[in-house]
Amino acid sequence: MAATVTAGPRVHGRRTTAPAATTGSAARPRRSSPLRRRRSLVAWGLAAPFVVLFLVFTAWPVLSSLLMSVTDLRSRDLRNPFAVNVVGFDNFATVLTDPAFHTAALNTLYFVVVGVPLTMLLALAVAVALNTGITRLAGFFRVGYYLPVVTSIVAVAVVWRFLLRPDNGLINEVLGWFGISGPDWLGSTTWAMPSLIAMAAWRSMGTLVVIFLAGLQSVPKTLHEAAALDGANAWQRLTRVTLPTIRPTLLFGGVITGIGFLQFFEEPFVMTQGGPLGSTMSVAYLVYNTFGFGNYGIAAAMSYVLFVAIVLLTVLQFRLLGEHDGRHRRRRHPATTAPAAPAPAPAAGTAGLAGTPGVAVPRGGVR
Amino acid sequence: MRRTARVSVAALAVTTLALTACGRSDDTGTGQPESTPISGGPATGTVTVWAMGTEGEALGDFVQEFTAQNPDVDVQVTAVPWDAAHDKIATAIAAGEVPDVSMIGTTWMGEFAATGALDATPDGVVDPEAFFPGAWDSTQVGGTSYGVPWYVETRLLYVNTALAEQAGVSPTPTTWEELTDLAKGLQQAGAEWGINLQPGETGSWQTFLPFAWQAGAQITDDDGTQITLDTPEMVKALEYYQSFFTDGVAPTELPEGDLEPGFVDGRIGAFVSGPWHIGLLEETGGAGFMDGVTLAPMPVDAQPASFIGGSNLAVFSESQNRDAAWKLVQWLSEPDVQAEWYRTTSDLPAVESSWDQGDLADDPRLAVFGEQMDTAVAPPSIPNWEQIATVIDTELEKVTKSGEDAQQAATTMQQQAEQIGTGL
Repeated sequence: MAATVTAGPRVHGRRTTAPAATTGSAARPRRSSPLRRRRSLVAWGLAAPFVVLFLVFTAWPVLSSLLMSVTDLRSRDLRNPFAVNVVGFDNFATVLTDPAFHTAALNTLYFVVVGVPLTMLLALAVAVALNTGITRLAGFFRVGYYLPVVTSIVAVAVVWRFLLRPDNGLINEVLGWFGISGPDWLGSTTWAMPSLIAMAAWRSMGTLVVIFLAGLQSVPKTLHEAAALDGANAWQRLTRVTLPTIRPTLLFGGVITGIGFLQFFEEPFVMTQGGPLGSTMSVAYLVYNTFGFGNYGIAAAMSYVLFVAIVLLTVLQFRLLGEHDGRHRRRRHPATTAPAAPAPAPAAGTAGLAGTPGVAVPRGGVR
Repeated sequence: MRRTARVSVAALAVTTLALTACGRSDDTGTGQPESTPISGGPATGTVTVWAMGTEGEALGDFVQEFTAQNPDVDVQVTAVPWDAAHDKIATAIAAGEVPDVSMIGTTWMGEFAATGALDATPDGVVDPEAFFPGAWDSTQVGGTSYGVPWYVETRLLYVNTALAEQAGVSPTPTTWEELTDLAKGLQQAGAEWGINLQPGETGSWQTFLPFAWQAGAQITDDDGTQITLDTPEMVKALEYYQSFFTDGVAPTELPEGDLEPGFVDGRIGAFVSGPWHIGLLEETGGAGFMDGVTLAPMPVDAQPASFIGGSNLAVFSESQNRDAAWKLVQWLSEPDVQAEWYRTTSDLPAVESSWDQGDLADDPRLAVFGEQMDTAVAPPSIPNWEQIATVIDTELEKVTKSGEDAQQAATTMQQQAEQIGTGL
């Protein structure tokens, strides 16, 4: 009766064998003095709490889900999880040919492609405003923008549902003053997704504002002064000095937002239940439903497809915003620098240094 | 490097062994479960019970009479929130750490019985004839009963009597045509919407399937092995359901929480729901509001039908105290105890003869529910029911909102449900 859902006896086996096996091999005569041996024992002893927790609560579930994805495990096999057939990649084939999955994938793509840039632009705009314009009430605004992040999604959902009500919702009421009759936001297949994107952007912006602010404050004042002396206007200073300097911060923000948005789940779960007509059904929600129906094998395969998508998106973002790209530019810059904007060359040069504080912000995940 | 290679080889070997150890045994499905009879005499030992919602809160005190009759038994009730119940039971089955008795939602029966975790109802514990037929059917999985109905609920029409009189139509429609006339009449008499029928989304099958059953459609054949969603009767019911939306009598989108105030204000003329709406309407419209409401049985087409819901009590096959567990279930199914349970929780008794006493016999509103219960139908207790129900929800939404052809919807339902399979 070993179990997949709760940790069974197998786990305890791992717990004891894993550190023991490694210390055993460290004790081999070659290249190991008694001191070395003792040090590595101590090291393993100190690392043991983490290693054990990692193996039991991270490695084992991940391994189980991976195994699950290549078997036909269903809820009826709960009592004998090992008495299942290995079906290889059949589950993946089923998932990739499932029209419901296609719809969910397109919906998720829509959410990510519109939502991530929108959230980042909004957050950047707010961060720049807070960094340059507003100085007196900066603390108040910072709290204000961060508040949605710490507020419970359930409470937020209730308020947003009131805002979005077709007849007497605040949004349609305001639109009504201008003679526009607003749509039934959550009840329309066209507007449900944009409504959720707006809500997600509002919810996720706070963390990014904090991260971007930290990045912006690390941009050396001297660069701005030099650029200003050379005749660069505010917009040019933003695009040629600030943005290249905080590029690593942007990358970090983009990556965590992308990961959060690809796992798009809470908004449809509390607002629309994936409707109307499946227009807000996301991949993560579909995975949740599939697990709920007891199709563990297929659900696990589906979540691995989502995982691969997240990895690909992250790789893409590293390609677009990553460090190596910056170095490439640095080499090219002297040739292309126009006299009017001499700033970019030094700016790109400090990118690696200046970016670090931005990344040092505690990572809680944007959503 | 060499060490890593060795570890990988070992890991690979272990994995291969584990995988080759996998594989289903030859026996198919639930097999032929034996139902060993239970012993006589009073119940002894400890019986652990899981129950959800109000039932979980009330049962602990309620069983005192049982413990008085069986002094050597100790009944321990754990209240489980409904939201967590399904997963908690599934986890318990996987871990082999099950309670002796659990309340099981009727639509979960198929799924949990298929795991083999539920004990087949022993002969002689209860009399199947004593229960409403629809309720007893919900315990049957693949021809074997895996539990006992505990309480039931069914759906009726709630009609605004004054509006119906104003429109000059009968508030108690007996046929489909009369229901259409009623809904249209209510709308002409001033209601924004003549009737509210759930237009798809989670759980809408519970409102739709009564019409399908009335038309004579069945979800599966009699063995529960073949799915029969693509039938002329089903198409007929889908077309009928659709007509309320194409005629503009029923709303395709009703904001959440708008039903009760809408009905109280007279904006919604009628709706289909269960007994809990009596309380909800009196809460919204004030005490005495129900006097202006007609509770009408569901209309009849080829046959009468409504939806039966509720919960069953099941004993786990790995129960440490099986006999005492069944004795508790037996006691909870006694007509007098069922009637007493109604007084405690307002749960409608699943045992027919309990309806002959007290409020259950005298209250005219409850009488309508009791009458409807005789013809109420349970969805098939097949392991994959919840998943098939979502397919029906999805297609129903297309029919009501985007005007999908009824035949097309039935074909899609059938095709997708076949792909899912009954799971038996």
